[in-house]
Amino acid sequence: MSDNQFYESLDETKPGHTFLDSNELVLNMGPQHPSTHGVLRVILKLDGEKVNGIECVIGYLHRGIEKIAENRTWAGFGPFVDRLDYTAAVSNSLGYCLAVEKLLGVEVPKRAQYLRVILTELCRLASHQVWLGTHVLDIGAVTPLFYAFRDRETILSVFEKYCGARLTTHAFRIGGCRWDAYDGFAKEVLKVCDDLGPMIDEYRDLITGNRIWMQRTKDVGYISVEDCMSFSITGPVLRGSGVAWDLRKAQPYSSYEDFDFDIPIGTAGDTFDRYVVRVEEMRQSIRIIRQAMEGLPEGPIIAKVPKVLRPPAGEVYMSIEAPKGELGYFMVSDGGPQPYRVRVRPPSFINLQALEKMAVGSLVADVVAIIGTLDIVLGEVDR
Amino acid sequence: MIQSFLGYLHSGVTPGEAGNLIWIAIYVLLVFAGISVGVMFMNWFERKIMAHMQVRLGPMRVGPHGLLQPIADALKLIIKEDLMPSNADKLVFWFAPVCVVMTAFCAFIVVPFGRTHAITDMNIGVVFMLGVSSLGVLGVIMAGWASNSHYPLMGSLRSGAQMVSYEVAMSMAVVSAVMMTSMVTGTGTLSMIGIVEAQMQQHIWFAFSFFPVGLIALSVFTIAMVAETNRAPFDLPEAESELVAGFMTEYSGFRWSLFFLAEYTSMMAVSAMATTLWLGGWLRPFPNLLGGRNWDVAFSLVPGLTFAALALICFFTYTRMPRIRAMRGDTAGLAVLGCLLGAVGVVMLLPAVRIRVQDIFWFTLKVAFFMYFYVWGRTTFPRYRFDQLMKIGWKVLLPISIGVVILTALIGVRQELFALVWR
Amino acid sequence: MSFVELLKKVFMVDLLKGLFVTFRHQHPDNLVTEQYPQERPVISDRFRGQPRLKKDANGKTLCTACGACALACPEKLIKVSSLRDPETKKKVLTEFDYDLSRCMFCGLCEEACPSNCLELSPDYELALYTREGMELDRQHLEDGTPRKVYDR
Repeated sequence: MSDNQFYESLDETKPGHTFLDSNELVLNMGPQHPSTHGVLRVILKLDGEKVNGIECVIGYLHRGIEKIAENRTWAGFGPFVDRLDYTAAVSNSLGYCLAVEKLLGVEVPKRAQYLRVILTELCRLASHQVWLGTHVLDIGAVTPLFYAFRDRETILSVFEKYCGARLTTHAFRIGGCRWDAYDGFAKEVLKVCDDLGPMIDEYRDLITGNRIWMQRTKDVGYISVEDCMSFSITGPVLRGSGVAWDLRKAQPYSSYEDFDFDIPIGTAGDTFDRYVVRVEEMRQSIRIIRQAMEGLPEGPIIAKVPKVLRPPAGEVYMSIEAPKGELGYFMVSDGGPQPYRVRVRPPSFINLQALEKMAVGSLVADVVAIIGTLDIVLGEVDR
Repeated sequence: MIQSFLGYLHSGVTPGEAGNLIWIAIYVLLVFAGISVGVMFMNWFERKIMAHMQVRLGPMRVGPHGLLQPIADALKLIIKEDLMPSNADKLVFWFAPVCVVMTAFCAFIVVPFGRTHAITDMNIGVVFMLGVSSLGVLGVIMAGWASNSHYPLMGSLRSGAQMVSYEVAMSMAVVSAVMMTSMVTGTGTLSMIGIVEAQMQQHIWFAFSFFPVGLIALSVFTIAMVAETNRAPFDLPEAESELVAGFMTEYSGFRWSLFFLAEYTSMMAVSAMATTLWLGGWLRPFPNLLGGRNWDVAFSLVPGLTFAALALICFFTYTRMPRIRAMRGDTAGLAVLGCLLGAVGVVMLLPAVRIRVQDIFWFTLKVAFFMYFYVWGRTTFPRYRFDQLMKIGWKVLLPISIGVVILTALIGVRQELFALVWR
Repeated sequence: MSFVELLKKVFMVDLLKGLFVTFRHQHPDNLVTEQYPQERPVISDRFRGQPRLKKDANGKTLCTACGACALACPEKLIKVSSLRDPETKKKVLTEFDYDLSRCMFCGLCEEACPSNCLELSPDYELALYTREGMELDRQHLEDGTPRKVYDR
């Protein structure tokens, strides 16, 4: 039903309103709520426990990042891009730099590509840790949050030593990387990989096999492959429904084709499968990081790029496999030092469309689980 | 009056049975104070244990290692603004927390901390405790109703439904334990002290009797008691991240603290019931396997040694406190606490004291074990959805508990017949 | 369901495994809390914190007043004022204003500085009670802003 129809149905003066219908309750899961992963407002129409209708109201975190881009230089916009999906800032930076490099036609040196891969996969691990902790917390288990954040601390300290910031990393520059690996980088990154393997086994013991977890997540939030395609949903949500589509394999960028890794796929398209897919992705990320560290070539870390960038007029769309899905940047250049238009294709925003499909017909307590399994970050949804 | 005061001391019964009003009053005050201290300690204990299981430290700043945190929380709650929703039913709103607290504390009238250490011993003690716990459900529903808001109402109805469903399974498990009391004497008893004495006579804790039926009954009771007190993994009605915030939403400040007090008190009450029925109440472990005078003396030293160990932990932590000026108060307080605990430990090692204290100590230790299990469960398990919760209560626990009752009866009758035949 | 799986279900093996995981983590060696401010975190050199203007061994500023940092800043919060020294014909720095309240610590100014003068130091304790202290002038950038150090 369209926006107008939904709001009219709440208006008591209009005919056909449902507010005072027997048994139907309008519940507002407001912008401030422990479970909405940011400032997301969800309006639920409930019949007892069952969800009849759901409507998301977004925009509480809109900061006009795309408009800001039109008033900053190409290099100066780099720090802003971290603030989109703030749990995985390095990933956003990678996407932006790759898009501008595509526009410029610049070839990034091999060492920089490998460094980028290592940092991006570490960032994928960090983002999945946040997802794991918060999703499990919403379902009720309070401890894995702290374990996940403790593991995330090791990754963030690598980021801090590499680029000077833990969250808004601004890790990459157009043309390559600004910093080379610091002393002890290899040792620390491999330690992260070694430590994380047993942690993931702990999650398996604590959560995956747990009967309460399985009861809460199996057959909850089902979405079929056809619906995924029609909503253009990507990322672990799509892979949980059974489609082996990963941009790192389908359209490799930044030398991902050099690495050997698997794409975990689910079969049932429910919350449990998406959970298993993401946990498996963490293991595959560790594999990639190890391979990249082993094969890290010597060489320059940044290509020769002019100080003031003036890409030739044109447009480009470059997308990467961010932890949340396909993160795309559509950029239009008019030949000047500032972008003409930057449009971000945020995976969380597109995936949020699935909320209605998944939640209608399920129970109230499942809505929280479904929002968690979609892994949305409002910084991306609202920009 | 002095006569009545002193006369009680040599009777071998509880004050209620002796009819001695002064001692009843003293015991009531002691139990009330003890439980309040216990609730405050539980607050600290839960936060610390949850924190340690979550690889963090928990409260550390309010006193040394957060020991004064419960006092700070209590003060904060008392000085908070007392809100009442605009169209709330004032009388019911006022009465709901009172009802819940009263019923939770009333359950402790019959809880025996030792042979004579109970306020009274009713001959229907177990039924009294179950009945009083059921009255608590009334308070919960009143709280939701009086809040004049449909979210608390939904939460309280859910909570009430959950408590009522799990009470059935709990009662069945209790029936099985009560049946075991009739093994030797031929007549069972519902009195709490009688049940522990039956365990003493049969030389076995009921948890291990008719193995494994006793254990199954204990597990059923444990799961049911966790659900009864609305604790994880059955805490959907009061969960923070769920949409319906629970029946306590509209209560703030002191009224909320009464609900909190009632929750922990009822946790302790059902743990006390479980201890009495299955874990031998105030009996020390291995009374006949490790029997005899020497073992008796050794076990009676345990309370004093426990306090001495706690004092040592205090002193050890004292040596590890940071030596900065701002922490001087905390460090001094910790040393004082260590000395106090050490003094209590030494007093408890004296023969005159340790005979009287050991029953209370063993009982409290067993209840503490259950409380640890509560906190452990809360930290580990995710939450059940409400329909799954009700399904477990009615479709899983109830058949198992009925099965336990039948099995207990069968095994009991068979053993009696066996004994009869062989006589 | 096979017999083994049935047994596991009845005896709640999965729940017990979870209980043991949380129990194991109670060991004091596992606790990761850093009790700030008694234990301060170790900060790396590359950390982007409080901006500072470096001076050379003689105490003379390294800044050549080129203005590259002001141009590089995405938020345009740096203002560099200079005079031309009549003798050496070079620019001499007079004022350097840095608005810390709008700074996002991206490090582009640090990157742009050709004389390695402007750096974002590893100082992260930047909290103040008033907004006035957030606008740093040349003296604060060279000598540091006075801030209260807490020990508890």
